[in-house]
Amino acid sequence: MGFLSKLGIAIGGSAPRESVRSLPHGRNGNNGNGRAVAVGPSRQPEIQETTRVSNGLKEFLWNLDGLGRGTLLDLGPAWQTTLSFFIERGFRVTSEDILRGWAEFLREEELHKEERSVENYAQRTPEGLAKKFLNENLKYAPGSFDALLLWDALDYMEPTLAKYTVAHLTELVRPGGGVFAMFHSKKPEGFQRYRVTGTNTLQVLSAKPICPAQKVYQNREIQELFGRYRSVKSYVSRDQLRETLFLK
Amino acid sequence: MWRKEDGKGQEPPEISTGSVNPTTATKPGTSSLSGFAAPPVSSKSAACVSQGIKIKGELTGSEDLFVDGRVEGRITLSNATLTIGPNATVKADLTAREVVVRGRVEGMVSGSERIQVWHTAHIHGELKSEKIGIEEGAELHGKMEAGKPTGPPAVAGSSKRAEPNKHKDAASGEEKSSSGAAVAGAD
Repeated sequence: MGFLSKLGIAIGGSAPRESVRSLPHGRNGNNGNGRAVAVGPSRQPEIQETTRVSNGLKEFLWNLDGLGRGTLLDLGPAWQTTLSFFIERGFRVTSEDILRGWAEFLREEELHKEERSVENYAQRTPEGLAKKFLNENLKYAPGSFDALLLWDALDYMEPTLAKYTVAHLTELVRPGGGVFAMFHSKKPEGFQRYRVTGTNTLQVLSAKPICPAQKVYQNREIQELFGRYRSVKSYVSRDQLRETLFLK
Repeated sequence: MWRKEDGKGQEPPEISTGSVNPTTATKPGTSSLSGFAAPPVSSKSAACVSQGIKIKGELTGSEDLFVDGRVEGRITLSNATLTIGPNATVKADLTAREVVVRGRVEGMVSGSERIQVWHTAHIHGELKSEKIGIEEGAELHGKMEAGKPTGPPAVAGSSKRAEPNKHKDAASGEEKSSSGAAVAGAD
């Protein structure tokens, strides 16, 4: 927190940021356009956000307790709050918004669609696209991370991509590491982003959809997807969101 | 405390030609750009690539630099602050002790000490620093690495996470399964 206070963009501080450092007014912090925005303490009121108690997160952190200086991969947008939360606990945090990356990848593919030869159409199958996407993104050495925040990204991926992504992520997690994921029990109507604000508290922010919801996973399908993990724990909440912790 | 202030007053004045009247400063008989005040030049002020200036290539140095124009290539400041202004468009890999991004950057941004990303920033690329501050509204496309470098990989089983059969009470209103390959909850 000390560093962030010095920056004047700290989170959770008692003093408003403006009192620390004079930044230009008229911030447009609205993430309604689906941008990977980062949000500090003085968020614009128009952002729809709710706070939810997350026992899955609590368990996830409990499993990371005692790790010391670990490594975390956050597959959501880069939020200052999440970043600070884990950095203050000694983690090295890597953030890569997988859904945004996928949306941009598809956009690029669409732009160059006409340039492709007939032979390359095989690469445009769901499997081909998934492989190509993972060749260009999430490029980390095997066993790079102790912990992974997947959020509800799998619900918004094509099933083929989800399958390949989970397999790829499994390689990135060290033995004993954990993955925190969420699954909607019903097809989600909106699009939400999450950020960590406390040891068992998540802030849920409504945002403009980047990708449409693709699939509602049943328990059996989740087990199959994460078959290489030795332990699965799930928490079902009243808001139809299953928080699941996978331990490798 | 008073001594400090006294000390400040004794600092040598900045070398500046801004207040010099060109007509009096120019020797008689020599040509001069009379009528134009010379821009302020200070040995202590940060170097500036202002709006309207475009640079292609590599910029290196050890002094603070403010970029508000267009730069393509690479900027490396060994022990100084690099500020990318709100009007800047930079397609370059940036390396400095501290990097402040307020404009558009495409490339890898590396701060040996810290990186500040303002709400006006629009970054396509990679951020890498021990400390990163991201302001509300900043647009980030790419990945980001923050925090102290980790040591050797943690030994599996050295922490509590190695206990697969632990039980903890969940908060009311939520169900919980035990460990094992089982998922609780309603489908």
